[in-house]
Amino acid sequence: MSETLIKFDNITKHFSSRKGDIVAVKDFSLEIKKGEILTIVGASGCGKTTLLNMVAGFLTPSSGNILLDEQPITKVEPRCGMIFQHYALFPWLSVKKNVEFGPKINGVSKKMRREESAKYIEMVGLKGFEDAYPGELSGGMRQRVALCRVLANKPDILLCDEPFAALDAMTRQIMQQELLRIVNESGQTVLFITHSIDEALILSDKIVVMSVRPGTVKDIYDIELPHPGKVEVQLTDEYLKLKRQIWAMVEEEVKTSMNIVSS
Amino acid sequence: MEGEELGLWRSSVIGAIGLLVFLSLWEILVRTNVIDPFFLPAPTQVIDKAIQMTTAEDAVLLTDIKISATRVLTGFLLSVLVGVPAGLIMGMNPVIRAAINPIISIIRPLPALSWIPLSMLWLGIDEQQKYAIVFMGSFASILVYTTDATMRVDPILRRAAMNLGASPLQILRYVILPGALPDILTGLKVVLAIAWTCVISAEMVGANSGLGFRIWTAKEWSDTGQVLVGMISISATVLVLDILFRGLERVLLPYQNKGLGNK
Ligand SMILES: Nc1ncnc2c1ncn2[C@@H]1O[C@H](COP(=O)(O)OP(=O)(O)O)[C@@H](O)[C@H]1O
Ligand SMILES: [Mg+2]
Repeated sequence: MSETLIKFDNITKHFSSRKGDIVAVKDFSLEIKKGEILTIVGASGCGKTTLLNMVAGFLTPSSGNILLDEQPITKVEPRCGMIFQHYALFPWLSVKKNVEFGPKINGVSKKMRREESAKYIEMVGLKGFEDAYPGELSGGMRQRVALCRVLANKPDILLCDEPFAALDAMTRQIMQQELLRIVNESGQTVLFITHSIDEALILSDKIVVMSVRPGTVKDIYDIELPHPGKVEVQLTDEYLKLKRQIWAMVEEEVKTSMNIVSS
Repeated sequence: MEGEELGLWRSSVIGAIGLLVFLSLWEILVRTNVIDPFFLPAPTQVIDKAIQMTTAEDAVLLTDIKISATRVLTGFLLSVLVGVPAGLIMGMNPVIRAAINPIISIIRPLPALSWIPLSMLWLGIDEQQKYAIVFMGSFASILVYTTDATMRVDPILRRAAMNLGASPLQILRYVILPGALPDILTGLKVVLAIAWTCVISAEMVGANSGLGFRIWTAKEWSDTGQVLVGMISISATVLVLDILFRGLERVLLPYQNKGLGNK
C-alpha cells in the first residue's frame, strides 16, 4: 500500500452569484496515492475544474479540507503543478525561457536552469525549438512546452484540466502516449480531468466518475489494462467492457444534466 | 484585386506619386496667380524659406526644433515615469482604481490649453511651465492606457505564474509588465502626438522660442512662408519620432510579427 499524497476530505464548494447560490461540489471525498495516475470524468459543469482549482489553491473549499501530504492546502500551491487547457504560455518568452520560468522564480542558478530546461525540452521532443516563441508553435507543441514548464518546477503532483481537449484527434493520441511515457519515467503523480472515456482508459490507474452538479464521487474504477496505453489496448475485451460500464454510468449523468439545462 | 494589400514597395511608389501630383498642382496654382502667394506661398518658396532658416547664422529653425523637441520629450518622459507605474498599480488593484478613477475622469477631458493660465500664474513662461503643460496634457491619458493594458493581461497567465511560485511582486515584474507592454507602447505612441500639440499651444501663448512661437510670430509679420515651414517641421518631427518609436517596439517586442498569433 503506497502513501496518500492528496486527500479530499468531504469537500463542498458553493459559489454565490447574483442569480443565487450554486453548489458546485458537494461532500466530495477521494484519496490520490503517490505515483498514481487518477482521472476524473464527468459531465460538463459538474465541478471538475472547480476541484482542480481547489487543489492548486486558486479557490478555497467552502467546507472540508484538501490535504497535501497531510497538510491542508491554504494558498496557491506550487507543489501542485497545473497544465491549463489553453496552455497559458507567456507569449513574450521563448520556449526555453517559458520552461525556465519556475526555476528562475525560485532562485535556481542560471547554469542549472539551462541544463534542466535543455533536459526537459529534449524529453518532450522539442529540441531545436528552444528559441521559438509560443506564437510560432502548433497546439500540440505548445502543450508540450506547458508540460515542460510544469515538470521543470518539479511538482509533487501534475494537475491536468482537459489539457488535450483543444487538440486534433491524432495529436491528442500522440500527446497521451507522450504524457504516459514521461510520467512513467519519472513516477510522477497525476490528477487528470477529461470528458473522454477513451482518454481516461488509456491514461489511468484509476477512474473516478463524478455525478452531475453538485459534483460528488459516483463511482471508482481501478484500471488494470496493460500500460503504456498502446493503441491495441483499445481493442481488447477488457477495455471495451470497461468502456461500456463507464459510459453507462456517465450517460445517466449527462442525460440528467441535459434535463436540468432544458427544464 | 479589391481589398488586397499592395506591398510596401508599390504602395510607397504610389504614395510618392500622389504627393508629387499634389505639390505640383499647388505650385502651378500659385505660379499662375490663382492663389495669392501672400496667403499661400508655393512649395518651392516654402523650401527656399526653410533653407534660409536653416543656413542663416543662427539656424533658427534647427534651434526651434531642438527646443520644442526637448520640451515635449521632457514632459512626456515625466508623464511616463509617473503614469506607467501608477497605471500598473491601478490596473492590478481594484480599490486604488476605484479611488483614483473619478479624479482622472475630471482631469482627462481637459485640453492642455486650459492649463495654460494656471501654469503661467504658477510657473511663469520658463521651461518648467512647458514641461508642466505637456505633463498635464499627457499624464492622464498614459495612466488610462496603462491601466487598461494591465487589466487586459490574460488572468490565466497570472494564475500560471502563481502556480509556478511567483510572488505578487514577481508577477508584476515578469507577467503584468511584459504582458501589458504592447498595449502600453501603442498608447504611448498616441499620447506622444498629443504631447506635441500641447507644447505647440503653450509656445504660441507664452514663449520666446520653439516652433509654436516661431509660427505665431511669423503670423504677426504676415510671413506665411515661415508659418508653413514651422507647420511642416512639426509634421516631420512627429514622423521621425514615430519611426524611432516603431524601432523601439521592434526591439522590446521581438515576439510580435512572428508566427501564427500571440496567444
Ligand atoms: N467563479 C464562479 N462563480 C459562480 N459559479 C461558478 C464559478 N466557477 C464555476 N461555477 C459553476 O460551478 C459549476 C462547476 O463548474 P466547473 O468546475 O467549471 O465545471 P466543469 O469543469 O466540470 O465543467 C458550474 O455550474 C459553473 O457554472
Ligand atoms: Mg472545466
